[in-house]
Amino acid sequence: MSLLELDAVDAYYGESHILRDLSMTVEDGEICALLGRNGAGKTTTLRSISGATPPQVRDGTVRFKDEDITGVPAEDVSARGISLVPEERRVFPNLTVAENLHLAEVVGNKSNTWGRSLTFEHKGATTEQVYEDFPRLRERKDQKAGTLSGGEQQMLAIARALKQNTDLMLLDEPYEGLAPKIIEDVEAAVHRLNEEGTTVLLVEQNAAAAIKIADRAYVVDQGSIVFDGTAEELREDEETRERYLGV
Amino acid sequence: MSLLADVLTVLLNGLQQGAIFALLAVGLSIILGTLKFVNFAHGALYVVGTYTGLLVAHEIALTSGKLQSWGFTSLGLDLGFFAALVVVPLFVFVVGLGMERFVARPFYDRPDTDQILVTFGLAIVVQELFRILFGSNSLPFDQPAWAAGPIALPVVGNFSQWRLYVIAITAVLVLVVYALVEYTDFGLVVRAGTRDAEMVRLLGIKITRPYIVVFGIGAALAGVAGVVGGPLNVVNPTVGTDILVPAFLTVVIGGVGSIVGAVIGGVIFGLTTATLVAVAPAWSQIGLYAIAAVILLTRPQGILGNEEVAP
Repeated sequence: MSLLELDAVDAYYGESHILRDLSMTVEDGEICALLGRNGAGKTTTLRSISGATPPQVRDGTVRFKDEDITGVPAEDVSARGISLVPEERRVFPNLTVAENLHLAEVVGNKSNTWGRSLTFEHKGATTEQVYEDFPRLRERKDQKAGTLSGGEQQMLAIARALKQNTDLMLLDEPYEGLAPKIIEDVEAAVHRLNEEGTTVLLVEQNAAAAIKIADRAYVVDQGSIVFDGTAEELREDEETRERYLGV
Repeated sequence: MSLLADVLTVLLNGLQQGAIFALLAVGLSIILGTLKFVNFAHGALYVVGTYTGLLVAHEIALTSGKLQSWGFTSLGLDLGFFAALVVVPLFVFVVGLGMERFVARPFYDRPDTDQILVTFGLAIVVQELFRILFGSNSLPFDQPAWAAGPIALPVVGNFSQWRLYVIAITAVLVLVVYALVEYTDFGLVVRAGTRDAEMVRLLGIKITRPYIVVFGIGAALAGVAGVVGGPLNVVNPTVGTDILVPAFLTVVIGGVGSIVGAVIGGVIFGLTTATLVAVAPAWSQIGLYAIAAVILLTRPQGILGNEEVAP
């Protein structure tokens, strides 16, 4: 059984049909890349998994740990162990770094868990652990997140996701707008969290960088999967790369 | 009476009027800033607060309205003002929860104009309901015995005790709400949600819970404004509509979503009104709008407003 399974998902933004019969799986413990051009449906796929609306999933199923999570509200999907590091990071600019991180703990408060038929044992990383992973965040813990550089904000978004009770981390374009040196740091962080047991689904436009750290890759075009194989196979499949990724 | 005493008296009167504006504006502002919900029924909550407060604190003689024609010549629990100060916020808090759930929540994703229509409609329904039950006549709201009458202050001379209490009660309540928003986990979620509600949900937080509480707190503050403001005025069904526009203006000049801004806006309005009432009473209403216009022309986002926050 796969950790995550999308089966013939059709998703819409209003009347626009974005994902067409999209099926894919993510196996426990791997780093899986989802690649494709701008507008191919990568972000829509991640939003469909995490329960964010729009899009609206009108057909097909999303299964996580063998449970049907199609149409489950975003806060409940997250509580089941999927965390999204969205495009543009979306840290809270008006809160300090420490407050941004603390939000992941607030999830476990009684006022939030009470009456929800989900388990909320907190098994995410501690603040101390993420500060060790990202020393820059400790240095800036009392600074407003809005004043951080793009790379630091990306670190913060990943650290925040790590503090959640996460089994599957969805990373949406984590390299976007970052300097090559910072990309290496992010890569190292992704590797480390994967080695510690978190499964990763990585969405990127930057195919070359993604293939470098992924075990397996999918290529999506016009809302459907057009390639499915190991990272090695994609590296050798020049036709697919040229046709769908332009590299 | 020296000039200094006059000035200080105007200042205290201004603070007291500002306190009522601030109580209303803080609630409106956090509801507007956090939930992006335009609540024209905020004045109705003031009406509910003032009538409930009157009936808890005193026993009143009814002279008109349906209740009187049904045989009630007098009504009220006569439990005193302290009881009203405890019961009303709790009661209006619960009213606020109901309002969020059944009036506001279905309209969060709809345009501002729809929100205005539904809440303004609700305000009129509430107003007319009180008119039917209690009649159009104004009811007297006596000041509590322990705070009635003047107190001799140094320099200022005699000043209404009750007005001082209004300032003090407001200060305490606003500080409590400020502390809640600034220093608790609840406040943290609210501040995060103000910027990016979807991201808060993606973290696993059921944001409808803090939201309904925010609405309840805003409602409770409006209810308290009705109780403490009641004895300074008469009580009738239209008081809610009368204070709605100044309350909204206070929010706008202070900056939407800012508690401190709402207090500053309230104080500016209070001082303006009090000053004009003292020197040129005929201009006191116009003065309010003139000062609002000046502030908004120089700072369209309000004194402490944040340009980045979408309305």
